[in-house]
Amino acid sequence: MAANVSIIGRTTRIRGRVTGDVDLEVQGFVEGEIAMGGDVTIDTQGMVSAAVRGRRVVVRGAVKGDLHGEEAVVLEDGARVVGDVRSPRIAIASGALVRGFLETGESLGAPAKASRAQQPAARPVAAPVRVAPAPARAAAPPLPAAKPVEKVAQAVLPAGSNNNVSAAPAPRRPPPPVVPALKRAKGQIAKKKER
Amino acid sequence: MAQARTSSPSVDAEPARIGSGARVRGRIHGEGDLVVEGQVEGDLAIRGELTVAEGASVTSGAIEARSVTIAGALEGDVAATGTVRLVAGSRVRGNLRGSSVAIDDGARFSGRLDCEFDLPPELGGTSPRGEVRGRTAARR
Amino acid sequence: MASTVIGAGITVDGEITTDEDVVVAGTVRGKLTAKEGVTIEHGATVEADVAGASLTVAGSLTGNVTASERVDLQSGARVIGNVKAARVTIADGAQFKGNVDMDI
Repeated sequence: MAANVSIIGRTTRIRGRVTGDVDLEVQGFVEGEIAMGGDVTIDTQGMVSAAVRGRRVVVRGAVKGDLHGEEAVVLEDGARVVGDVRSPRIAIASGALVRGFLETGESLGAPAKASRAQQPAARPVAAPVRVAPAPARAAAPPLPAAKPVEKVAQAVLPAGSNNNVSAAPAPRRPPPPVVPALKRAKGQIAKKKER
Repeated sequence: MAQARTSSPSVDAEPARIGSGARVRGRIHGEGDLVVEGQVEGDLAIRGELTVAEGASVTSGAIEARSVTIAGALEGDVAATGTVRLVAGSRVRGNLRGSSVAIDDGARFSGRLDCEFDLPPELGGTSPRGEVRGRTAARR
Repeated sequence: MASTVIGAGITVDGEITTDEDVVVAGTVRGKLTAKEGVTIEHGATVEADVAGASLTVAGSLTGNVTASERVDLQSGARVIGNVKAARVTIADGAQFKGNVDMDI
């Protein structure tokens, strides 16, 4: 007879711990702790001063506290979150505001370590360090290929480059420009090769 | 020190581009937009839009732009006066600041987000519920 | 009217206050203060002092109850505590142990 989704109504205030292996929707105020085995939704008028754990945590309201989604954390337009966010998947809409540390997945690993791996002394700024010759620096793919397949960005090596050393096992293909309006630049390239 | 400078674009000028086969080390600064399809190691200070394309990688200490869209790999701190957006497939490590920050499902990210806003007073902030100060965080 | 539902499977350890109806099918330990009706369903466990306009109990309640209007203990209810309300009904099959005060 009770609804499957429990609802903390708009005028309801809870000070304490809310736990359970079911879904929860918060339209009111909760101070303390929320740890659910199901999905947790903080509605637009919901206000939570608590750490929030759930399978999928969806926030449309205000949260002061860390968010942990076993599966995903979604911050929608209007969400305001001060706290850390950890989940295999995180999605943040442009209208959501966040202040805190975020981390997707278990461990991201360094996304662009390839060049550094080849030149351990390199600092990205100022020092005119000579870049290693082409074959050495292209050996390692810029993205760790050990991660689960669905999470690896498709293009591992920039295709068409003349420093192709096909040491990487991942498939190569030309990375299409992401922005559809991109056109080939002719004579507009502003870059300088290392001396 | 290697430096690169983008020129001021005219209305129909195409963005400056670092092609997929290119590697740049050094600081890049300029007035217009920049599309990175290759590999960049160094600070970026762009007045316009910065796009890090899929397959590209940027390793930097500091990245400044009006707006930033990342589809590739980026390591470094990003400060935008406008929007920072991580699309699915991007891999970003660093701190992001902008008037708005969007992270698509499927993006991989590790770092801080620092938007400027106040929580409602019930949660210790100063702004009334529903009011949001989305002030730009990056200053030049 | 909107109501708060503490569903089966939910446990609240702490204080609940609300201006709306409350339905408890799960577990509440602490304190429950409502301005409107409180329903404690069969299978629910409440270990708390409960206050509301009206209280309907079909589950387990341990604590003191204050209702400005009425308290109804239904069959299957198990209540241990003092009840203070303008009207009290205790159905056949309800178990109750405590004082009843109808002098509000």
